[in-house]
Amino acid sequence: MHSVTEEYKTLVSIAERTGGQPGSFGAEDAIYVVVHANRILASHALPGVRIEAAETADGIDARITVQAGTEVSRPVHLCFGHLAASGRQVIRSRIFLEERAKAVFQAHCIFPNAIEFLHAMEGEIHLAPQSAFSYREVHVHGPEGRIEVRPVSRVRIDENAVYRGDFTLVEGRVGNLAIDIDVEAHGRRSRVEVTSKVYGKYDDFCQVRDIVRLTGAESSALIKARVVLKDRSEGKFLGLVDGAAPGARGHVDCTEVVQGEARAVASPVVQASHPEAEVTHEAAIGRIADDKIQGLMAKGLSADDAIDFVVSGLLR
Amino acid sequence: MLEPRMLFVKDVEVEREGNRILRGISMQVHPGEICGVLGRNGAGKSSLAYAIMGLPQYAPKKGRIWFDGEDITEWGVTQRARAGITLAWQHPARYEGIPVRDYLKLSNPSAREEDLAEALNLVQMEPFYLDRMVDKGLSGGERKRIELSSIYLMKPRLAILDEPDSGVDLLALGEVMGLFKVLASGGSSVLIITHREDVAAACDRSYLMCAGKMILEGSAEAVKRYFLSQCEPCVEQKPENTGEAASNHA
Repeated sequence: MHSVTEEYKTLVSIAERTGGQPGSFGAEDAIYVVVHANRILASHALPGVRIEAAETADGIDARITVQAGTEVSRPVHLCFGHLAASGRQVIRSRIFLEERAKAVFQAHCIFPNAIEFLHAMEGEIHLAPQSAFSYREVHVHGPEGRIEVRPVSRVRIDENAVYRGDFTLVEGRVGNLAIDIDVEAHGRRSRVEVTSKVYGKYDDFCQVRDIVRLTGAESSALIKARVVLKDRSEGKFLGLVDGAAPGARGHVDCTEVVQGEARAVASPVVQASHPEAEVTHEAAIGRIADDKIQGLMAKGLSADDAIDFVVSGLLR
Repeated sequence: MLEPRMLFVKDVEVEREGNRILRGISMQVHPGEICGVLGRNGAGKSSLAYAIMGLPQYAPKKGRIWFDGEDITEWGVTQRARAGITLAWQHPARYEGIPVRDYLKLSNPSAREEDLAEALNLVQMEPFYLDRMVDKGLSGGERKRIELSSIYLMKPRLAILDEPDSGVDLLALGEVMGLFKVLASGGSSVLIITHREDVAAACDRSYLMCAGKMILEGSAEAVKRYFLSQCEPCVEQKPENTGEAASNHA
């Protein structure tokens, strides 16, 4: 059993080490929320940003609004975690950027000891006209175990608004991961970029489902996935862009790298529901070339360390 | 009195896809020496480099390799590298998303920023390259020079440089050739694999390879002279000495 202070310190130190900056939490000029299990340990907002959060039986419900015209200068840090080996945490969030608001959110999902655990992120994001929102979700899992991770996002983007979403696992095992992102670029000239980077090992299972519907005229989208699988891990990628409006442009780019007995399936789907839309794709499944690995081994790295080094670049 | 041998290759045979690509190769490299292996394209020079480095595809079917008196024939690439052997590849691999700084630090994790800049400077590269990626954005020559910088930082006991001049422009060629001496003066032995007689001429001693065999050994000048004579008379037919060079062909 950890004390509240211990929980806060542990989660924040891991968050700052794996993508946050020192001072991301606790500073007067920072915006942040720290949640352990279903308890809100800390929450701080600044003028122009409203955070309403309530504890539920297995997590929290949060509504975050960035008010019209507000440009948040520093990233907003959301730290969700649990230090126990088993349990569940469900984070339901609704994020609304009003007109011309701009913000960068970084979510840190931290489960360093998880063995049997369910972590679900159910997010609804609405971007009003001319707003811009970057959302980066970084996961830190333990070195073993069967954590189940379910990041689900439903995003709606109005005229001239920009959405960038980035999911990255930076440490530990994937476990059983199913990313499910569905974006509707509804507004004219709205823009979307969705990136997923995952490194599966042992018997991890990773499923990435990124869907973007370009229903706004001249809207555009890029879906990018980098999935690396080794040992006996399995991965499935579905990236779909539907060009459903005049002048809509989209591209799906998926690279899966497999080593050992790993198995991968990549399905880039491009659909032009409107005759004036243009959508393209590229997908590749391959191994890390021997010369890359041997080149690093000739510098003294073991074969495993050489693969990890190559992967660190692919996922950067 | 026999000179001490750092690397000793004895009667090595390598087969690939049913072809004998190294046929009874014997050679040696002494401590602190710059030694060349000269030969035309397809002679088997790179295969020899890979066999010395321990690439499993080039494992000797016959013969042995010793390094510092230890039989390393069964050792893997990592073990050989940790013993002090390294290889600068003719076409070094590219690494998406890896900055030059991180790549160079693999060779020497304790290298400071100024050490990295010095290593680049030795091959006529500016420090801003440290922030570039070791990927397709670099030209072949740039990538090659970064590889040579990484060898310098590693300070290996034996550096095998496979066609070190390939892709390098004429202006930087002098620096690249100067690097051989810098490495040797720092205590490394250098084994240069090349098809260019002017590069081989920068060596203390050379071998000449032809069709998977080591056909001549001698001073760099003598081996160069023989190579430039279109290898006439052919030592395959007349295996006697050529000047101060000695036939190594059995």
